[in-house]
Amino acid sequence: LPPHAEFERLILVHLDAGYNLARWLAHDARDAEDVVQDACLRAMKYMGSLHGEDARAWFLTIVRRAFYDWLARNRPALMVRDDESAIEALPDEADNPEQALLRKTERLALADAVAALPLAFREVIVLRELEELSYKEIARIADVPIGTVMSRLSRARRLLQGSAGLRAYGGPAAGEPA
Amino acid sequence: MNCEEVAALLAAEADDEVDGLRSHAIRKHVAGCAHCGQRHEAVLDLRQRLRAELPYHAAPAALRGRLMAEHGLPVSRAAALAAVPGRRWRGFGGGVLAGGLAIGLVWVGSVVWQQAEFGQDLSERVVGLHTRATLGNRLIEVASSDRHKLKPWLSARLDYAIPVTDWVQAGFPLVGARIDRLDGRPTATLVYRHRDHVIDVFVRPDTHATVRPSAHSVRGFNVATAQGAQMAWLATSDLNATDLAAFVQGLARGAVAPASD
Repeated sequence: LPPHAEFERLILVHLDAGYNLARWLAHDARDAEDVVQDACLRAMKYMGSLHGEDARAWFLTIVRRAFYDWLARNRPALMVRDDESAIEALPDEADNPEQALLRKTERLALADAVAALPLAFREVIVLRELEELSYKEIARIADVPIGTVMSRLSRARRLLQGSAGLRAYGGPAAGEPA
Repeated sequence: MNCEEVAALLAAEADDEVDGLRSHAIRKHVAGCAHCGQRHEAVLDLRQRLRAELPYHAAPAALRGRLMAEHGLPVSRAAALAAVPGRRWRGFGGGVLAGGLAIGLVWVGSVVWQQAEFGQDLSERVVGLHTRATLGNRLIEVASSDRHKLKPWLSARLDYAIPVTDWVQAGFPLVGARIDRLDGRPTATLVYRHRDHVIDVFVRPDTHATVRPSAHSVRGFNVATAQGAQMAWLATSDLNATDLAAFVQGLARGAVAPASD
């Protein structure tokens, strides 16, 4: 097939998925467009690397990489904030009733709570809940072992349950009487 | 399995990532343990809210047009290739591609093939949603046979409104509804019963890329589709294929009641 037909068949049909991921990661519409535009260029260049795997997962992998490169160039401070050690240092408060009580007054809309998650958590939540990809596919896209996908999803959900005023695992909803 | 082991796997279980044997053990434990039952509920709560509340950002038309121009595609088609604004039906991608006749006849073969693929693929996903809903305890999120109650409940959770009709006289009582996420978008699911059969009907806006009425069978579940009232209707059930097709086509037309056996 001619290149423009390949572009249409393999990339353009997944443009919404790519843009959605970029937008959730970058927050900003203009930045997301830049990331997607760069990703499309890369995708065209590496078309040959697609060997019968799912084109959507393949394109999302490229979008994600394009985003992190964009981030390193334009927002290096965020890279530091969201790196691995920062994630490990996050308190896990889902089971802490005092924290839950405090949050009663600052309940976030769930979408805002997702937007506030560190990148490593945000990307697995978006890939899992909005793209409905399997752990295996997410592992490939995010370039981490499946076990890491599982633990990040689990941490991300606990954080969301804590911050969005949802019922914590094994307890009453934050802000509701026990 | 003890509570600790179960807790570690509850989210993965909800994600369908636990093998059959352990999955069975988890469900058995959850059914008999109030504490884990609550945790399980919390997992499902969050899942449901994430799927209902997170916006899906479709690519802006300007970006799509720019990219198409850059890759030598006729930009006049950008609008046709874009999904309905704010919506995205991945399952209909093949149909969207059908607009690409301009690209050349060589294409037609692969387009037809892709459409067939998407059809079967969509059926698999629809049956997946149906079986997960019936196995878990979230078959119905709002139980009501009153369509005047169901319609606003659904409208409040979707960016489109659907016609809701009761078919009790034809032997298909409406029992409730829920929101599923199909192809990345919140979708209305109406739940009907016919004798011992549960029927899920997924209703979403019909795009210009139409679904032809079609029928599939996946793991013993039948899937039938129809169009009507600018909506695409996808029904799945263990009900026989003929009655299911008649029912969904009747629903979509909003007209003649299907034959009841």
